[in-house]
Amino acid sequence: MQLEESIRVALSGLAEHKFRSFLTMLGIIFGVASVIAMLSIGEGAKRQAIAKYQDLGVNNIIVREKTMTDEELEEVRAKFSQGLSLNDAQVIKEIVPGVVRVASQAELNTDVKYADKSSKSSVIGITPDYIEMLNLKLGSGAFINQDQYDHDLKVCVLGAGVAKTLFKHKDPLGKMVKIDDQWFQVIGVLQSKTLFTETVGELASRDLNTDVYIPLSAYLNRFTQENVLASEIQQITIQVASSDKLLETAELVKGILQRHHFNNEDYSIVIPYELMKQEEKERQIYNFLLGAIAAISLLVGGIGIMNIMLATVMERTREIGIRRAIGARKSDIMGQFVSEAVAISITGGLIGVVLGVSLSLLISVFTDVNTFIRPYSVFIAFGFSVLVGISFGYLPAKNAANLKPIDSIRYE
Amino acid sequence: MLIEIKNMSKNYSMDGVEVDALKNINLQIDRNEYVAIMGPSGSGKSTLMNIIGCLDTPTTGQYLFNDVDVNSLDDNSLSAMRNKEIGFVFQNFNLLPRMNSVHNVELPLIYAGIPKAERRERALNALEHVGLTERVNHKPGELSGGQRQRVAIARAMVSKPGILLADEPTGALDSKMGEEIMLLFNKLHEEGNTIILITHEQEIANHAHRIIFIKDGLIYSDRPNSLFDNQATEMTE
Repeated sequence: MQLEESIRVALSGLAEHKFRSFLTMLGIIFGVASVIAMLSIGEGAKRQAIAKYQDLGVNNIIVREKTMTDEELEEVRAKFSQGLSLNDAQVIKEIVPGVVRVASQAELNTDVKYADKSSKSSVIGITPDYIEMLNLKLGSGAFINQDQYDHDLKVCVLGAGVAKTLFKHKDPLGKMVKIDDQWFQVIGVLQSKTLFTETVGELASRDLNTDVYIPLSAYLNRFTQENVLASEIQQITIQVASSDKLLETAELVKGILQRHHFNNEDYSIVIPYELMKQEEKERQIYNFLLGAIAAISLLVGGIGIMNIMLATVMERTREIGIRRAIGARKSDIMGQFVSEAVAISITGGLIGVVLGVSLSLLISVFTDVNTFIRPYSVFIAFGFSVLVGISFGYLPAKNAANLKPIDSIRYE
Repeated sequence: MLIEIKNMSKNYSMDGVEVDALKNINLQIDRNEYVAIMGPSGSGKSTLMNIIGCLDTPTTGQYLFNDVDVNSLDDNSLSAMRNKEIGFVFQNFNLLPRMNSVHNVELPLIYAGIPKAERRERALNALEHVGLTERVNHKPGELSGGQRQRVAIARAMVSKPGILLADEPTGALDSKMGEEIMLLFNKLHEEGNTIILITHEQEIANHAHRIIFIKDGLIYSDRPNSLFDNQATEMTE
């Protein structure tokens, strides 16, 4: 039989029993919708994680000063460790092969003021390399350059949050802000960053939008740490050429620091990329479970289709007999009923796609869960539903095709 | 010879009991014959019709249709045979209720793989031939019994089959409508079609030119219809 006729017959079959067809479709609708929603939740979590680690730099090794009590600090200093220093950074850059950049940073939590407004900020002294390494994006103006660094210029780049608090809608570029008791000129404003809500290793969660960046040279010259035992800098970020060299480079860095710190463990080494891989593995198991649950509901939907198709074949035994008597082959009858099952699953699949996409949009709008729909997940869900239609329509269709024409035409 | 049946028997078991529906039948039907097969219910006439119509196969013996041994055909070839060579007309019409007349008539052509435009044209011609030009878009439920049977006849004739097999075609109609349908069969015969009627009514059988009686699975008598003396003499020659 021609395909067009199969489709026509299938659709008229659906139209004849609208409510029954709809009930049959429900299983497929929910199955497809949940597959799409589940996959979009998994993908959303993945993207959020990737964004987080990109902020830390996937090719970076981060050496961070450990947070210590005063007693612990006194103890390590007594054991000759100076804490993290510019010298450590210099040595790493000179000795360790495969290192592209090394950036040192020192931090101070203080108020930044403009006119009558004030913002609690992390003031971070950095080297000009910093912007290349940490995925910072400028909203306006420029970042600190080598010349400004070399001359200890009192310039600063504001995080988006600080700029908004201090300047509202005014343009901050060129304005003077007061950091602690020093005046700095604003030369740039960063784009807004998503909130860094999770703690990664020794890196505590914080709002990157409240950062204020100044040249490390100016920082070291203008600000003095209250605690005399404090180390010179708080963090060294090391960028390596390729991510497969991260682990061995980290080992070398560790060896150097052990020697320089006289085996005092007053620092920690974080490799964002390695943490990301580990997290990815855990998430895969979770995603697999979500997907399996959704797939089971599609399977149940398929059984629903099979059930209704078996009933339909019974109901239309006589029609099958008539068609056979006027020349339909077994394969024609088979095609007709498989088409009908597929029509149910395609229609259900389409409704399911709409429902699934809306569901994941609603989830991301009304909850904290991030969702992201990749086109392939829609095709997978839809394709799977068509497959379910074919496989669960097969048995009833085969039953229909194997009915003896002579018996079925007399069936009442 | 269009149909040649040699030493044919058919038995089947019903609830474990062996039934001999047909016993060693020999029968020949030529092109453009108009044959009535008569017999009481359970005589085997329906079984004979099913075998002639390629809906069923004999247990033993031979059935040649146009010199083709039907027993040797597979399921697909039997379907093709029913599609192209056999036109069925049933007592209860057996139209598909969801389709209008023209689509019902088109159905055999769909299975024959005829393109849509040609299909439609041939179906409309067939409906015109049975006098139903006004009813092509009506569904069976909207037609009278006589009209439904006309649609069924149009469907049977649309693929220009070698033989028209009618099983009690007037059984579900009142006598006036039945008579009209019989006049239509007479006309189709005059146009050169081969017709086999299955009936238990003498009045209906009288339209045919040859009458075969079956009883208990055996051919009881096979004689020309005495009402048509000319043909009767021709046939005995």
